[in-house]
Amino acid sequence: MTVTRAAATSAQDVAALPAIVVDRRRTRRRAAWRRRRLVLLLMSPWIVGFTVFFGYPLVMSAYLSFTHYDLLNPPKWIGLANYRYMLQDDPQFWGAVRNTLWLVAFMVPAQVLFAFGVALMLSRARQGVGFFRTIFYLPALVPPVAATLGFVYILNPANGPVNTILGHLGISGPLWFQSPQWSKPSLTLLAAWAVGNVMIIFLAAILDVPRHLYESAQLDGAGPLQRLRWVTLPSISPVMLFAVIIGVIQALQYFTQAYVAWNIAGGQASQAGSVSTVELGYPEGSTLMYPILLYQNGFRYFHMGYASAMAMLLLGVAFVLTLIILRNSRRWVHYAGAAR
Amino acid sequence: MKRVATAALLVAALTLAAGLIGSARSSASAAPRAKQAPVKLTLWVGWSARELNVFKKVVAEFDKARPNIDVKVVGGINDEKIIAAMRGGNAPDVVSSFTSSNVGNFCASGAWIDLGPYLQRAKIALSTFTPATLYYTQYKGNRCALPVLADTFGLYYNKKLFKDAGLTAPPKTFEQLTEYAKKLTKKNANGTIKVAGYNPVFGFYQNSAANYGPLWGAKWTNPKGASTLATSPGWSKLLRWQKSLVDWYGYKNLVKYNAGAGDEFAASHPFETGKMAMMMDGEWRVAFIEAEHPELDYATAPMPVDSAHPELYGAGYVNGTIIGIPKNGKNREQAWQLLRYLTTNTHALAVLSNGLRNVPSTRASLKSKELKPDPRFDTFLKVFAHPKSSTTPITAVGSAYQDLFTSFLAKYQAGRVGSMQSGLRNLDKQIDKQLKQAGGGVP
Amino acid sequence: MPFGVRPIVRRKPPRAVRRRRFLLAVANHSLLIAAAIAFLAPVTFITLTALMTNQQALSADLWPRPFRWSNFADVFHQAPILRWTFNTMMYSVLATLGVLVSSIPVAYALSRLRWRGRDAVFLLVLATLMLPPQVTVVPLYVMWSKLDLVGTLWPLIIPVWLGDAFSIFLLRQFFLTIPEEYLDAARVDGCGELRILTTVVMRLAKPAIAAVALFSFLYTFNDFFLPLLYVGENPHNWVLSIGLAQFRNLHQVQWNLTMAATLLVMLPVIIVFFLAQKAFVEGVTLTGVKG
Repeated sequence: MTVTRAAATSAQDVAALPAIVVDRRRTRRRAAWRRRRLVLLLMSPWIVGFTVFFGYPLVMSAYLSFTHYDLLNPPKWIGLANYRYMLQDDPQFWGAVRNTLWLVAFMVPAQVLFAFGVALMLSRARQGVGFFRTIFYLPALVPPVAATLGFVYILNPANGPVNTILGHLGISGPLWFQSPQWSKPSLTLLAAWAVGNVMIIFLAAILDVPRHLYESAQLDGAGPLQRLRWVTLPSISPVMLFAVIIGVIQALQYFTQAYVAWNIAGGQASQAGSVSTVELGYPEGSTLMYPILLYQNGFRYFHMGYASAMAMLLLGVAFVLTLIILRNSRRWVHYAGAAR
Repeated sequence: MKRVATAALLVAALTLAAGLIGSARSSASAAPRAKQAPVKLTLWVGWSARELNVFKKVVAEFDKARPNIDVKVVGGINDEKIIAAMRGGNAPDVVSSFTSSNVGNFCASGAWIDLGPYLQRAKIALSTFTPATLYYTQYKGNRCALPVLADTFGLYYNKKLFKDAGLTAPPKTFEQLTEYAKKLTKKNANGTIKVAGYNPVFGFYQNSAANYGPLWGAKWTNPKGASTLATSPGWSKLLRWQKSLVDWYGYKNLVKYNAGAGDEFAASHPFETGKMAMMMDGEWRVAFIEAEHPELDYATAPMPVDSAHPELYGAGYVNGTIIGIPKNGKNREQAWQLLRYLTTNTHALAVLSNGLRNVPSTRASLKSKELKPDPRFDTFLKVFAHPKSSTTPITAVGSAYQDLFTSFLAKYQAGRVGSMQSGLRNLDKQIDKQLKQAGGGVP
Repeated sequence: MPFGVRPIVRRKPPRAVRRRRFLLAVANHSLLIAAAIAFLAPVTFITLTALMTNQQALSADLWPRPFRWSNFADVFHQAPILRWTFNTMMYSVLATLGVLVSSIPVAYALSRLRWRGRDAVFLLVLATLMLPPQVTVVPLYVMWSKLDLVGTLWPLIIPVWLGDAFSIFLLRQFFLTIPEEYLDAARVDGCGELRILTTVVMRLAKPAIAAVALFSFLYTFNDFFLPLLYVGENPHNWVLSIGLAQFRNLHQVQWNLTMAATLLVMLPVIIVFFLAQKAFVEGVTLTGVKG
């Protein structure tokens, strides 16, 4: 029994009773029209929103990507010049691409594995599950700007607590956010700290694995590691795959943490008050992510045409990923919420 | 019943919010037309904290003398905000920027209006201003800004630390600077830096390529406007000198030192607290030290120069605060009155110079009797007047070409550039292409 | 529950097995405790620094001596935190209202009404959820600047009044779980679809609506990119995330005060979490493992 059929029959019942002779088709058509109007009415906010905030800007972006546009003077058609500059000449473009790919290749797997590990430990805990779950989940709620500020201070190589403690242990700590080799791993640490959402999803998935599977595996003589490999992992693989894809999408738009970390860490060692004197992606461009470069070009240099060209490329990549997700949406649709 | 109440609440909340969120804007746009009500002007400046208060006092004098104008000063503004505001159509009436090399951005795009007609109408001759300031307030003849105070750079040194190390006079060449720096540096047991003799890291406080350029006779561009970082010998000499001193300290040690050094404009500044013996800084530091650490025993001198060019000694980098009227500002006439007062009134400039210890930017105010004499500040007036002092080229991309150089220098000083010369050649190509792309991508 | 399948239920395992299980549990808990300490460490250090003097914050000391509680008061003197909080609340409340008003009907149409193209539209909604905001940002900025609204919070608020993909998704998932019988009963009573939505569905979906409101609050509270873009230039309309990121630049304030401000910004979220823990748990389950 579906909603529509129910609605249709009830409408029919009401309409059909007094008018036996009247053209039934007309009644049905009117009911259909009324239903369509209802759907349109309910959907109207989204239809307007989608048109204005997705349809229009996508078309406009495509157009602007072929122009030179500074927002003050009308766009000037320059053909493929933006794309050529982007792929061939822009000294920062490939660095930003590499940085974003680094996130995809290292930060995302690290985050997923870490979340899985914590969830696994939690699933086996007997005491204080609620307490531990709260502690592991809470950092996910901390505003990213606040979390980043905190981490930049804690990981300050000169007088931050982490290096101080490492120093007491006789270890000379790394330069963290001040070094191009360590800045992205530092951001990864930050990401691991705020991994709560994925962790909760993993936890639920692990607890959902039917018990009897474990028991029969145990009867077959499987040890804990083998059970993990042959029972837990296969059962939660859709969740894992989902977590990876969502992680990749988030990595593509990774902005806040890198932007704040570079401004604060870079500002520490340079002129305060003026972002423009801090080197882009401090240190040595290592935190200049693709969306940040797009932002810089579009809204600091106001090369809006060029920023649009960068947006089109990002759109292409996101589109492919989205297709992958939607193709398998039947399996994943339940998890898509974590994209936010 | 309940639904009606909810709806009513919703509407009420919305109206309230509309009023509150909109308030900032409506107050600006609904400028009262009545004769009595004063015109409200908004002025954006980069100064903050103590400096902002000094500036506000000068503006208050202007305000008081003109009952028909009411000026609101907003401090702590940087160029990012200025550019965003002008493109976003949300600009103030008068706007000023610390980054004079961005004047190309403002003039070329038409974001700031041409002040030429206003100057002509008010019969203000260009010779009112000093030559260097005239250069960085225009782009290709379009004078879209005027100077309000100027900045020059010199050497600050701690006299007590000098005495302890047996030194008497400031260094005059970069070789000497290195030698002194080594003598003045004190290290902790674990090899980290306790007191830095001279911190040469690019990006640290005022250590920028632009500020060092004039000291090595280095040129940014050739007459055709092409970048000459690889061909003007000053740059490679500067880089080699800088790298050798960085390597002496150990790059990692310097990074650590910088990370723990505290803020440049806070009382914890390492020079002010005796953790740094020498530094390159602008003239404003004199006022900061007076306000924060009057007990500090220090002196100032021109920066040392390349020993092959002794004639450069006494020169330095010059730039300054520029001020203009945004195209989308509202009250241009009143804005011009304020701008004129701030840029040409000898008394205003002298008071500002005394309070901020910035260099006055008109010929008359440089000789004003009101200026408080101070030998440590006079150094900078002399640097300002030196014929070899210079500023950075004004381009249509503002200082974006310097961003590219900065990125290169960061890699270079960390020891991650294979060949300096080919790196610089590459950089020249990139900067030329960047300029072309910004100009519209059409050759 | 498939019972009767398992042969013999709890037989006491042999001693060696019990001992091994016990040791494993101890090992597991030790790891958990270590991880918990690592997770708490950042907040602990932030708190300690927030109580130090600036001199101490710049030194290698870990423990504040003396405790400077006045730092928290100083934060309010140094920066217009109240103004930022007010703006943030404005953004949060208006956006959350908008999300609810616009997304509930859409979610209803996408879950409980059948019409041609519904599934395709739902996929489109999902697609917009996946799209990085940077893709559409240039033309939108141009649009808002033409409307003279850059510098205000409206470019952040108005779009969510026209449907928010995440909330639509979440609500749809919940609406699907409402048993058809409830709706049918209402229909028999002669209710139109709109009445059913505003009475039956909304009443039954209270937990989901609470979760959506909560997530919307969180999202707006933490949002940085869009506020940076649209109100970054206008300090009057700054929200907490922007204010905090600019905090050090504003007044050359010190690390101890910066950490105190950081803590103050974290606080509301944590309070909300403990007040609304149940709604959270239900919300996360809804996004995560509804199946």
